[in-house]
Amino acid sequence: MKLYCYCLCADLDTFDNSVSGVSGAPVRVLRIEEISVLVSDCETVAATRENMLAHAAVVRSAFTRTTPLPFRFGTLATEQQLRSFITTNKRALANKLAYLRGCVEMDLKTTWQSSNSSPPKPNPASGPGTAFLMEKRRELLGDEQAAAHRAELSDLFRAELGSLIKEEKIGLQPPEKTVPIKVFHLVESARIQEYRDKVQELREKRPELQLEVSGPWPPYSFANIELEFGSQFGVS
Amino acid sequence: MPDFDQMIVSEEWENTDVSLLETLDHVLSRGLVIAGEITISVADIDLIFVGLNVLVSSVETAHEVLRKRETE
Repeated sequence: MKLYCYCLCADLDTFDNSVSGVSGAPVRVLRIEEISVLVSDCETVAATRENMLAHAAVVRSAFTRTTPLPFRFGTLATEQQLRSFITTNKRALANKLAYLRGCVEMDLKTTWQSSNSSPPKPNPASGPGTAFLMEKRRELLGDEQAAAHRAELSDLFRAELGSLIKEEKIGLQPPEKTVPIKVFHLVESARIQEYRDKVQELREKRPELQLEVSGPWPPYSFANIELEFGSQFGVS
Repeated sequence: MPDFDQMIVSEEWENTDVSLLETLDHVLSRGLVIAGEITISVADIDLIFVGLNVLVSSVETAHEVLRKRETE
């Protein structure tokens, strides 16, 4: 029998039985190396909306009592694999749980583009070789401009929200200009209202940012330990 | 503890569909990933041991990772 994994918690001994897990399975607490893991006994899990929402509901339920380290949807492992993972990464996981304790994730979206963020377009009259090189140049310039844009956004949020942000992650700029850039902030739960007020002030001061904010979320965007983040795509 | 009655803050986000999409985006695109392992067997004979990094992801996240790898 495999275990479907929802989240890790530092200090959760029981779980609310009224919240069902994926495929309606009951959720139980498994203690490994002083870390609580919320799991369901499950061989397979279908990638359905209901199961994804069940995953979110279990994590959210834990979130009302403590700060969980959420697993990504679809995490199935044997108990042995889970024990091995936690034992091997015990220190990194404990440090991450301690770091996230009392914090929430707040998400911002903006469609704002800085004035110089459009890379040059290739000349349609050029030959195939020139067009190829121009396109590569355009890609490289686009990446550089996207990085500069992210830095610009980060500076702006640091200036306006400053001490409220414990950590920040900014998504890569999508090539389509109409797709919002996502910004994730780790914020102490006691300062959520202060954060909302500051974002509202920023929205009024800079309406062109078209800021949209959602949260508080469990810290999904800050959950990965570095070792796992690097290895999850086979990159050491 | 966080107040989930106020989960969606701005007026634009007081839309169930948007909230649902946000929720699905979180559980699909983010969160701790655990590496697994499988052994491919034929007729009960173990043939290949494969390190497996199972990933369920949104297209956007996969696109991000590929772009990051290309720029490294």
